[in-house]
Amino acid sequence: MLAQATSATDTASTAVPIERPVNSSFTFDVGGAHILDTYLTPIKYSGLSLRLGYERLQAMKFSPFEWVSQMDAGIEYQKVKNPVGNHTMHSLMVEYTWGMMHRWHMECLPGLQLMAGGGARFRGGVIYNANNSNNPVSAKIHFSANLQGMAVYNMRLGRLPVTLRYEATLPFIGAFFSPEYGQSFYEIYLGDRGDIVHCGWWGNRFDMRNLFTVDLHFGRTSLRIGYRGQIETSYVNNLNYHFFTHSAIIGVSGEWLSLRPGKKDSDKARIISALY
Amino acid sequence: MKISQSYSSMKIVKRIAAWVTGVAAAACAVVTLVGCHKYEEFANDPYGNFDALWTAIDEHYCFFEYKDIDWEEVGQRYRAQVLPEMTNEELFDVCGQMLMELKDGHTNLISAWDVSRYWIWEQYPVNFDERIIDEFYLNFNYRQSSGIKYAIMSNNIGYMYYDDFSSGIGEGNLDNILAYLSACDGLVIDVRSNGGGYLTNVEKLVARFITEPILAGYISHKTGPGHDEFSEPYAYYFDPADDSRIKFLKPVVVLTNRSSYSATNNFASIMKSLPNVRIVGDTTGGGSGMPFTSELPNGWNVRFSACSILDPDGNETEFGTEPSDGYKVDMDEADSDAGRDTILETAFVAIDDMIAAGL
Repeated sequence: MLAQATSATDTASTAVPIERPVNSSFTFDVGGAHILDTYLTPIKYSGLSLRLGYERLQAMKFSPFEWVSQMDAGIEYQKVKNPVGNHTMHSLMVEYTWGMMHRWHMECLPGLQLMAGGGARFRGGVIYNANNSNNPVSAKIHFSANLQGMAVYNMRLGRLPVTLRYEATLPFIGAFFSPEYGQSFYEIYLGDRGDIVHCGWWGNRFDMRNLFTVDLHFGRTSLRIGYRGQIETSYVNNLNYHFFTHSAIIGVSGEWLSLRPGKKDSDKARIISALY
Repeated sequence: MKISQSYSSMKIVKRIAAWVTGVAAAACAVVTLVGCHKYEEFANDPYGNFDALWTAIDEHYCFFEYKDIDWEEVGQRYRAQVLPEMTNEELFDVCGQMLMELKDGHTNLISAWDVSRYWIWEQYPVNFDERIIDEFYLNFNYRQSSGIKYAIMSNNIGYMYYDDFSSGIGEGNLDNILAYLSACDGLVIDVRSNGGGYLTNVEKLVARFITEPILAGYISHKTGPGHDEFSEPYAYYFDPADDSRIKFLKPVVVLTNRSSYSATNNFASIMKSLPNVRIVGDTTGGGSGMPFTSELPNGWNVRFSACSILDPDGNETEFGTEPSDGYKVDMDEADSDAGRDTILETAFVAIDDMIAAGL
């Protein structure tokens, strides 16, 4: 059984039960992409980027007022062309991120929360260039540990409650896959897997994600609009990889609270939101 | 208390702001130094496209040392022929001529109107007439499965013709083919004028003629743009087909000509290492470099040999795999006129020789 939750603003009391609503959002991104992968071609391709995403934020059980967990999953597709427009590449990626952040409620500006923390991310997929012979595909697999920070500001535009959010995610170490400079996937299939897994750090890889969203609260659900910018770069085995996207976001979000049957105090509970 | 909390919040804000500024500065530095690692961009004009082609080959081609090619000199010689006002077709001709210096059938420049090529088989006898086989040896009475034509000839020798390693081979199809041919005294696998295809099909076919894992060869790839930057040759092995699959372990002859190229050359080089197999006909066309593809700013594709595949003895076969000792033979014109395939007739002799040797 689900019901919409409302925010609480008063201080915590140990005697009052605590409820932690789940902030969920489903988003659709559309924008532009620029891809350079010198395993496939030395030419930079540009074109369309699409993404479907689901995000889940929740105050954490052990310290709900100060810690927030975040799960973010997405699947994205890019269709890009070379500058003269006669060749096309397709990119399909999936991504899963989990993190936890400490938050500070800024008394100097009511409604402002700052969060900082870390997490883990998996991102993988393929880039396919149909024109190529034995190098038609560049496979991407990347596990990373991330630093992440978020600023959230709840305010009103006239009578409309609005939540502004900026979030930056910065992988700082991890492991990723790259074939060697002239190595075919057939050779990897044959068993030559000597130098294909690399420790990813800022000396050979730099990724960053910037997210800015505005949640417009219309009753039970909210309209989410925003911007997502992704930077992925690596240079390993003499192979250069750049992957940039800039996308507009549109979606819905809302906070949902599970009211368990038999739980007597739910109506009296203190509700601690992760975001609003 | 309120003032104190507010002061504390301000300190946290300042601390976080300093942290964010530091991370952002570090990120910008890293993006500048590492993330946006410099890569060479060429203009879409005659000089830019020529230089892009020369550079792609210079950094990725795998046979400069083996073929003793001074690519720097070649580049200077042909760049002198490039003019700012030349047409695309003129530029294509100059670039195509430059690539022919590599003497490599896997190296092509591909535009919307033409493919530059150096096909070695155009310089040698064809050594194959499918009509003679169909009419005088198979009597137009043959079966076809998985892109393989097969039949039992009148002397109880099996015959398989596989014209393209790009044609998929199903394990069930191979079972049917080899079951049909299982009573034959020997088998001829004709791969003349088979220009290559998928190496996975080579593995699938070879697996039907072995009972134990075999060393199939070595593969070496470039590890960087230098002409001498290569990985150590990696030994790779083929396993026999599952026990449930049908194999042919009697004498086998593989027929080759100069148009037996690329994956077919690889197939011939591996089969040649088996004790009950003879290669009969002409030297194959070679093509042991696995081709990769790149492109130029004007959208032309360039294909080139990027990884070298060596035979089981560790030898380069870029210029071909020779027939087994004593079985180098060309088609005789008089034989052809009489409806005889000289190479196939030699294959019968080779099978008799192997049977006589107890193989």
